[in-house]
Amino acid sequence: MHLLCLGINHRTAPVELRERLAVPEKAVPEAGREILAAGGIDECVVLSTCNRVEVYAAGPEAFSPEIVASQLRGHIDPEGRNRLDEALYRHSDREALRHLCRVVSGLDSMVLGETEIFGQVKKAYAGALESGFTGRLLNPLFQKIFQVGKAVRNETGIQHGSTSIGSVAVDLAEKIFGRLSKSRVMILGAGEMARTVSQSLVSRGAQGILVSNRSYDRALDLAGRMNAEAIRFDDWSSRIVDTDIVVCSTSAPHVLLTPDMVEPTLRARKGRPLFVIDIAVPRDADAALHDLDGVYLYDIDHLEAIAEEARVRRRHQLEDCEKLIENQIAEIAASRPEFSTFSL
Amino acid sequence: MNWSTAHTHLLVSTIFFGGGFLFAVLGLRSGKSRPTLRNLVVMGAGFLFQTLFLMAQGRLHGSCPITCVPEILIFVAWSMVLLYFVIGGGYRLSLLGVFTSPLVFLLQLFALLPGRLPTVATVRDGPVDYWVELHATVSLLSYGAFALAAVAGVMYLVQERLLSRRDIKTLFYQLPPINSLATAIFRLSLFGFIVLTIGLVSAFFMNEMPGPLKLVLICIVWLVYGALLLLQARRGLAPRTTAWAAALVFLLPLATLWVVGRR
Repeated sequence: MHLLCLGINHRTAPVELRERLAVPEKAVPEAGREILAAGGIDECVVLSTCNRVEVYAAGPEAFSPEIVASQLRGHIDPEGRNRLDEALYRHSDREALRHLCRVVSGLDSMVLGETEIFGQVKKAYAGALESGFTGRLLNPLFQKIFQVGKAVRNETGIQHGSTSIGSVAVDLAEKIFGRLSKSRVMILGAGEMARTVSQSLVSRGAQGILVSNRSYDRALDLAGRMNAEAIRFDDWSSRIVDTDIVVCSTSAPHVLLTPDMVEPTLRARKGRPLFVIDIAVPRDADAALHDLDGVYLYDIDHLEAIAEEARVRRRHQLEDCEKLIENQIAEIAASRPEFSTFSL
Repeated sequence: MNWSTAHTHLLVSTIFFGGGFLFAVLGLRSGKSRPTLRNLVVMGAGFLFQTLFLMAQGRLHGSCPITCVPEILIFVAWSMVLLYFVIGGGYRLSLLGVFTSPLVFLLQLFALLPGRLPTVATVRDGPVDYWVELHATVSLLSYGAFALAAVAGVMYLVQERLLSRRDIKTLFYQLPPINSLATAIFRLSLFGFIVLTIGLVSAFFMNEMPGPLKLVLICIVWLVYGALLLLQARRGLAPRTTAWAAALVFLLPLATLWVVGRR
């Protein structure tokens, strides 16, 4: 069996080129049909995400990458074709398999170790299977590939920790309150960061969300998007006692949330913790809040430091992942006679 | 079943708990694996052999196997593991095994010291008094619950310290949420208190009442945990204070175990 991988990704091509080559979900079957119709290739899978467009093609005999390359070129204008040629990478047999293993494991992703790509590859394969573009070569191979992805995920620390401020904040909230479905959230400010963090909280089940902003209209707008309640800026401090998580993201030039406001509510909270996520610059919350019993304050620097630490930890795991992938490739090569082309 | 078989069961059980502890610590240190499922299997196997040991000793004595300190310790350890499985959910699917298994391992190791475990049946004055059996069993079960509450208290303090110091590393992600731990401490203390109450009440139905020292010690433990629960329920004791209390107050039942476990 011969395997070819041909494509562009976030490292080799800017977004302008990637978006021009991107294959919309509905057009994937057509793209696959064109590649197979060109001849010489028996099976193929087209993977198109925001960070990559790749074609995995297979056949019993060796074939020229140009068959696929010319198909891709046909999808963009002449000016883009030159740029595409520069950005296009070609891997064959063992290299192609290694690349696919790295992709499915999140090692080739923009955010190292991210898990979304695993689902995207699965979806691309399922589409190809449904369209009849895969058969005796790629079907067993992709099953093995998914096992590799799972092994990398389970046996290494490549996915440990959160690497973005929003997900770090949500992880911390979950480590304080457990499931967020019973947590009450207050969002101060209605800017982009407030929206990002609150959407992360909502995606993990947070309910009972209050939004407050100097401009009440903007508060109403954000609240409307999240099925939340908007409150006047003069009223937010009186609602602190019932709140579990406060997301501070206003552009106020001075501190808004102080120990004097929170301390009197501690008794009424009956030991319920208060988690303050301060992503505003200048900061909205007084640093002394963190000294209060049961109050945990994390500002943007704390969150960024945690995210960076996770990124560093993931980078340290790369070597282990690569070793694991090499072992898995050797096992795949030995598992079936037609996979012998993947051996060293 | 003879002594050597029972002894082997205990030894195998102890090895499982020791192994579980080791696996979990290694997993934690490397930060590469999730110790949860493996821990659960090892704890389950340890529990199975623990139960087999207690059954063998029960048959030997013809009553609940709590005739001496080593047997009492094993019974308390068994109660802890039983509760560990009963509590379930987020509490179990965590590092509870890491924090529970060393305690169980040490308790059993102590019991395994040569010459400690009885090889012959305890001589009884008369027929089995089932109120005595109930009293002793449920009292020790409550001690198991208090022990687990203490373990949860230590876990809470560790997690809370990591949060306060903003030391967000592997251990932080492995530990359960502090709210879940606070709930577990309360529930375990409450369960232990209810079971101890049953033990205390059953003492008054025994053919022969326990000695005054034993009765006073049980009452002290009962009162202390009762006061702690009342403070939590009525005044909203700070979770950190509750966790400290659960961890420290357990020293009291632990210190009185020798007396309370006796028939």
